[in-house]
Amino acid sequence: MNALHLMAELIFMPLIAFIVGMMMVLMMRKISARLQRRIGPPFFQPLYDIVKLYGKDTQISHGLIHDIGIIMAVGGYIGAEILLPVPGMEGIAAKGGVITLSYFLMIPSLGMALGVGQCANPNGSIGISRALTAMLAYDIPFILVVFGAAWHYQSTSLIGMIEYQQVHQWGIVEMPLLAIAGLFALQGMLGKQPFEIYIAPAEIATGPMVEMSGKYMGGLFVMQTFQLYTAGVLYASLFLGGGTSFLTLLPKAFLVVALPMSIAFMFPRYKTEDVIRILWKWPVMLGLISLAFIL
Amino acid sequence: MKKELKIKQKERTNPLAHVFDDFIRFCQSKSLFMLHYCTGCGAIELPPAMTSRFDMERLGIQPMVTPRQADILLITGYVSIKTLKRVILTYEQMQSPKYVIGICSCTVNGGMYWQSYATAKKLNEYMPVDVYIAGCMPRPEAVMAGLQRLKDNIRNDKKEHKGSAWKDYFKRYDYYLGNQQALFGEDWQTPTDIIAEAKLYGLETEETYGKHTKLLEKHQTPLLPQEMRIK
Repeated sequence: MNALHLMAELIFMPLIAFIVGMMMVLMMRKISARLQRRIGPPFFQPLYDIVKLYGKDTQISHGLIHDIGIIMAVGGYIGAEILLPVPGMEGIAAKGGVITLSYFLMIPSLGMALGVGQCANPNGSIGISRALTAMLAYDIPFILVVFGAAWHYQSTSLIGMIEYQQVHQWGIVEMPLLAIAGLFALQGMLGKQPFEIYIAPAEIATGPMVEMSGKYMGGLFVMQTFQLYTAGVLYASLFLGGGTSFLTLLPKAFLVVALPMSIAFMFPRYKTEDVIRILWKWPVMLGLISLAFIL
Repeated sequence: MKKELKIKQKERTNPLAHVFDDFIRFCQSKSLFMLHYCTGCGAIELPPAMTSRFDMERLGIQPMVTPRQADILLITGYVSIKTLKRVILTYEQMQSPKYVIGICSCTVNGGMYWQSYATAKKLNEYMPVDVYIAGCMPRPEAVMAGLQRLKDNIRNDKKEHKGSAWKDYFKRYDYYLGNQQALFGEDWQTPTDIIAEAKLYGLETEETYGKHTKLLEKHQTPLLPQEMRIK
């Protein structure tokens, strides 16, 4: 019974993540459309896109590593979903804490780097080298945030953190500076302006995605849904008190994901070295000051 | 000379195959990624069609930047002979099902460049065109109507067979290659092996081959990976 229960959770947690993630993609596209005074895509647009990409007649593979890279990119996030507790379902979250989760969050970028490397497209190589540099930039504040939160809650388990916040106050009230640093890292992690140099459609033709087509592109679209969901739910669990039911958790997660998109169009695009400079300066400084208060 | 060819269709054993096909076709008509090859003045009409006034995204159409990702190749204006080479290279790199839309009179019949020695007059002599949008230049309303027509064609492809013009490129490759060779010379060759693709999809007919493909075989040099060298 117990094993069956766990199996069901391992299936349902990524599935919920996928469906909610598609809604988040829709929300982001709607927000950018409304900001530009457009109507935006219809409700099922993310689903249409994914089905169409998987249904293409031509599927060009550039080799085995290309295939494995995409599987790593999607699989890393599926691994992350079952470590991310949601109301009613814990998966294996009790066994692997937030540290395991932050390792899992790096796998997709590395998988993409592998896959793009075999495409041998110069735009792709430029894009992925920029993406990995950006990862280096946002991971330092991200690790600081995770460390600070874990120290504050005296637990590396997300379940423990959520329980603490539901008894005491939300994390964002108790350590506001760390929460702001987390938002900075989130902007970089989601690759929104001003940290989207590695996509740069007009300059390097969407960088890492340049040779991706058909189901490979579809895999990346699926990855994006997981990415948004993970970012939203993780931030909500760390700072916004998680949730006792989906009705309280999902609005927080949607709000967290909506923030970067809403402010994205105010910014131009930073160069790669400037991305590192700004991400290693401000959020790290905020994080360190916050750590000084916490420790 | 006519060749006897047996076209092998893949056997489909899934009883729900047609349902899946219909669903995929529906999604294809709802989600179109567009690569715009802006050659002439028609490009001016695209920004209003994409931005707040007419908003293509509500039809599920969004711009993409590489031929690998795109479904529609949108050619907006006159195609000079030099440009046409690039257009054909781009078209052959796209993933089927792929669609071509010719905007402006110049792609229909040469338009005001009819007497020019340097332009290709009719686009559909060199690649199958799904929808032409005539006008000099067509207004965004016309562009939107053309895109809507393409969506309807894709959706009703099962009955009317208007949304699969891309198959024509494989079925009648000799005709298209002949027109290309007439412009670019006998040794014209693209990096894509169309005949092999036609075999893969089971789309080769007797018109796939002809004297032009023979000429291509004579001049074809095998494609090798580029040598990596630091100068």
